[in-house]
Amino acid sequence: MPRAGKRKGRLLEFVVMAVTVALVAAFSIAVDGFATLGNLQVILSNSASLVILSCGMAVVIISRGLDLSLIAVMVAGATTFSIFINADIPVLTALALTVAAMAMVGLVNAWLIAYVEIPAMLATLASAMFVTGLFRFAILRGEFLLLLSKSNPAVIFLSGEVAPGISTPVALMVAALIITWFLLRGSAAGRTIYAMGDNFQAARLTGLPVRTTTIVVYVFAAMAALCAGLVTSAASGVVDFRTVTNGTLLFEVILVVVLGGIPLRGGRGGVWNIIIGVALIAVLRNGMTLLNFTSQTQDVLKGLVLMVAIVADNYLNPRDTETDAVGDL
Amino acid sequence: MSVDFKFASLRKQPVPRFMLSPRRILADVLSSGWVESMIPFLAFICVVVGVAVTTQDYFVASNLRNLAQYSADGGLIVLAMLIVVAVGGIDLSVGSNFAMSAFVALFCFHILQLPVPVVLVASLGCGAVIGATNGLLAGLIGCGALLTTLATMITVRGIFTLSSQAQMVEISTSARIDDLWDWIGFEKILTMPIGFWVLLAVAILIFVMFRQSAFGWHVLAVGGNRKAARHGGIRVKVTVFLSYVLTGLIVGLSGFLFAARQNSISADTGIGMEFFVLTALVVGLGGFVPGRGAVVPVLIGFATIYIFNNAMINSGFRGDFVQLCMGAIIILILAIDVKFRKNRHRLLASTYLDPVKVTLAPTRGMAGLMPHEIAPKLALARILGAGQLDGPEDVILDRDGNLYCGNRDGRILKLSGPDHSDISVVAKIGGRPLGLAFDPEGRMVACVAGMGLLRVTLDGAVELLTDQTGRSLLSVQDDTSIRMADDLDIAPDGTIYFTDATKRYDIDNWGLDLLEGRPNGRLLSYDPRTRKTRTVCDNLVFPNGVCITHDGKYLLVASTWSCSILIFDLADLAAGPRIFLDGLPGYPDNINRSSDGGYWIALAGMRNAILDQAMKYPGLRQRMTKRVPPTNWLFGNLNIGGVLKIDGSGRIVDALWDAPDGPLYMITSMREHEGALYLGGVTNDKIGRLQLAYADRQWTSQQSYWGKG
Repeated sequence: MPRAGKRKGRLLEFVVMAVTVALVAAFSIAVDGFATLGNLQVILSNSASLVILSCGMAVVIISRGLDLSLIAVMVAGATTFSIFINADIPVLTALALTVAAMAMVGLVNAWLIAYVEIPAMLATLASAMFVTGLFRFAILRGEFLLLLSKSNPAVIFLSGEVAPGISTPVALMVAALIITWFLLRGSAAGRTIYAMGDNFQAARLTGLPVRTTTIVVYVFAAMAALCAGLVTSAASGVVDFRTVTNGTLLFEVILVVVLGGIPLRGGRGGVWNIIIGVALIAVLRNGMTLLNFTSQTQDVLKGLVLMVAIVADNYLNPRDTETDAVGDL
Repeated sequence: MSVDFKFASLRKQPVPRFMLSPRRILADVLSSGWVESMIPFLAFICVVVGVAVTTQDYFVASNLRNLAQYSADGGLIVLAMLIVVAVGGIDLSVGSNFAMSAFVALFCFHILQLPVPVVLVASLGCGAVIGATNGLLAGLIGCGALLTTLATMITVRGIFTLSSQAQMVEISTSARIDDLWDWIGFEKILTMPIGFWVLLAVAILIFVMFRQSAFGWHVLAVGGNRKAARHGGIRVKVTVFLSYVLTGLIVGLSGFLFAARQNSISADTGIGMEFFVLTALVVGLGGFVPGRGAVVPVLIGFATIYIFNNAMINSGFRGDFVQLCMGAIIILILAIDVKFRKNRHRLLASTYLDPVKVTLAPTRGMAGLMPHEIAPKLALARILGAGQLDGPEDVILDRDGNLYCGNRDGRILKLSGPDHSDISVVAKIGGRPLGLAFDPEGRMVACVAGMGLLRVTLDGAVELLTDQTGRSLLSVQDDTSIRMADDLDIAPDGTIYFTDATKRYDIDNWGLDLLEGRPNGRLLSYDPRTRKTRTVCDNLVFPNGVCITHDGKYLLVASTWSCSILIFDLADLAAGPRIFLDGLPGYPDNINRSSDGGYWIALAGMRNAILDQAMKYPGLRQRMTKRVPPTNWLFGNLNIGGVLKIDGSGRIVDALWDAPDGPLYMITSMREHEGALYLGGVTNDKIGRLQLAYADRQWTSQQSYWGKG
């Protein structure tokens, strides 16, 4: 069964890759300026934050969890950092404080899931509401936007280049992929994550530290979200809470994970799957933007793609709904 | 028979009317079925009181009417969400679906100029199509409900924004006026807006659906346990699909009402609605619970969140603060719910036992009769049915000298006379047969623990006489059903008096009732003519054996843990019991008549000084049951049994003890029959027969009760 599943799972990867290649070919022919080095750089930079977020989400989903508070944490992290640097606190101190604050959010999520035992979906849904409400109420005082000073060294660094031709977001993206790879394949926690995703009860009963690993997973997701938040807000010079309320970004992240071939029931997948998923979405997004599709049209199309992907995922990685626990949705 | 005692001169036994113990109330609340539905009610009361205190004139008619006006949208969607959650799914697309349906209504009304009923059908159709999409993916194909509905949420929202942007101006400049449209939007019936009545009607329909219709039952079954539902022959996938369609329909209706009232839509119509609805649902269900179609609690949960939201906005808090609060409320309620579900039984186990201080009268009237002072007469008993019986709690003989007893496996056994070696099964009852008696017609009446009072004819027909009595008003726990019917006797007028030894423990745990020491039992009566069961006297300490006095005017009741025998006047039962005899050396079980006008009292076990002392310290017993394994608990001495003989005035005249090495141990019952005493024990595997030297060899208990016959 696992073998067959693996082969089938591979099938989705090949299909997605083939679709990506076909899209690249189609856009190259149909759209002026698609197949240029400059556009490649744009695609890479624009998908940096999506990749980083997807790394966080992928790890959570592989452990058979779900983090709906990812975008809320991303925006909250960017807000915290911006408030600190706007108040002229030294960059490193500000970063350390922000990291601590967001790690706290991840920790609370994990605590609610692993120790209080609230289903992950509901816990993170509620914590997303809580975090968004808190930041907009207490920090932004009802505003949706927070402007960043473009002259701040941190902002300049984050939106600049580390080496000629390689922008900081791209470097961070690569770093995130490497760290995710290490976490999943090179660390003890990674083995536990796969075990939890494969069969949570079995993992728990074998004595694996499922609770502490859950903490690792959700704190990692929060860190990824924070990193993505910093990259996004530095690039645009603004922290925008509407990304949380309209839900599109969260949806894209899930889309990446599902398209990449990581089953929603967890236990399988890796960095390679993230790259495949992002490749398709990034190409699609870039091509549609170049074709002057409105963001609503893009949403509709991506929604349809996700529905197809969910059905494909369900066919390739069939789930036994009869053994679902409450909140396994 | 002469009366050897004066009833009026006996001491009265005080009987408490009710028991007030915080620990008991907590335990009773925890074990009740309704405790989980309390969350929405408590939350509702908190919110209403909070709002009433902080906001002036909030609950005035005009404001309530205003609230009702806008409640229909949210209320309908909460009910819609309840259906999918009940079937085990979730629908995040309700907000987008709501906006889309409202748009379709406005588009059909203003742009296409369709008649209002057609507009309604179009709105419902739009909702149903979106619901069917969800149902197709999540139900028929079996994808995850969360992601499926997330995808439809984004897609539908995109379509809504695209189409509403294109038509917004035209819709807002349309001048079409229609009476029916405005009637739906603004008319009031009985001072309440149409939307409110629609909400009420839909709520009633869904309520009836969950209670009465096959589909509603299927929904709950699928949500409760998919596998069981499939094995039960329910078409699971179709049921899930139809639930989503129904949800979509209701959302469409809600969108239509919104359109008729507002006559406009904006880009943020329905945004964040799924969060609001989910919060209301979590409050209403007290958690996220599939398989529960609790319409009323969910509506209360909705009202709570709705009023809370409204009052917060009114008093100047912004939507973001309300969102913060809702997130916190969801987390709080889910956390309580999950932890409560997980730990309820532990909490219950640790609070259930509720000991009280008990001071027993010192042993008296036993001079020269204690086990160490006289020879153990029961050692001479002949053993009947050794190894073939299991726990004959009570023994009884019919007119022909056949011996009957109850067995642990729920059967009534007959040991045919005269030598009682032939054992046959009279009836298979189930439960745990305890006390037995013969009625005037020669039928056997049995008290069966866990079942109640049953009548068994000697050819094996079993009939349940009663298994419940009236509920006592001042107790949290529903004590209607008879938990441990113990012993009975039949008065000359045919009324059956029987005891329910404890309302709080089962037959396997009667020992805990001793450690608790509270008056948990009751004396009941059953009148075969009217078939009515009455509670004669509630709150007795482990009432056990029952015996009508020889003259048929009084009723003796053994109160086991208080080591006393109570007496009731059958002519004036309401006056309550008096103490016939107290300070017994052991724990009295059954009482039966003897041939010389006195009574036999079975002692199930002996008191000991250390337990008598422990009974004065409830905290000690509480800690003991928690920290010490049950095998090491302080307890009465059940290893030695005995029978006391008292005369008609309650004076102890003889004591028959078992030898320290048996053979009878714990004795719970004895019957005199033609000069012999038959002895049963609830833990014994045999019946003892002791020839009595001084007894009347003609006397049988049948004759004593019902004459020569």
